[in-house]
Amino acid sequence: MSESRKRILEMLAQKKISTDEAYRLLDALETGEHGEESSGKASTIVKEKPKYLRVTVLPDPANEHLEKADRVNVRVPMSLVRAGVKLTSLIPPEARDKVNGALREKGIDFDVRNIKPEDLEELIEALEDLEIDVVSSKGEKVKVSVEY
Amino acid sequence: MNRPPMLMHLRIQKEEKGFGLWLPLFLLLLLALALFIIVLPLILIAILVLWPSGRGKTLLLIIRAAFQTLWSMRGLKVDFQSGPRCMYITVV
Repeated sequence: MSESRKRILEMLAQKKISTDEAYRLLDALETGEHGEESSGKASTIVKEKPKYLRVTVLPDPANEHLEKADRVNVRVPMSLVRAGVKLTSLIPPEARDKVNGALREKGIDFDVRNIKPEDLEELIEALEDLEIDVVSSKGEKVKVSVEY
Repeated sequence: MNRPPMLMHLRIQKEEKGFGLWLPLFLLLLLALALFIIVLPLILIAILVLWPSGRGKTLLLIIRAAFQTLWSMRGLKVDFQSGPRCMYITVV
């Protein structure tokens, strides 16, 4: 029995506190102990970082010409993704405008200047729970996910 | 720090013909490093000359980014099939 609990029970026995107060104190103590245990466990659990980004494109299984259909399976190391993002900061301003223009033509309203290396780790952390499953109108399945 | 890529396996298949290639990247990297050391004085001079205009820093960052990209390629796998043609690249 911990010292704190003992003291609470002694105070109850000496009628210094009521039963309700003792109950609340013991409850608070328990919550505090559980919180310490879980944070202690959490500190020993090292969250695994994703190592690879996997992109697959598979044809529709019902496709008559399945053997001729395109298949793509790419596994990119996260370190390469990081290096690639750092490379975007080296794009000259003139080329950046052209890239933005080309993206806008495809309907993507995105500015490559917004990609900053300092936001990289946050971006990669956000990828941990990423899983994209898209089925195109032709029945092709596009899947983007991370691997550990 | 990641280990650098050691080998690259490249396989290209077209219908019944195809070829495979194992590239010893560790040798190519050593060669690239040797060449880099040889041209290093020229690179340093270029950086110093271009530094006032701001392009020197960009050149330095490009060299750093190129090495980082090469170093990070270990684990890359590309498998592409289109009908009877397929291409497979893996970096170990």
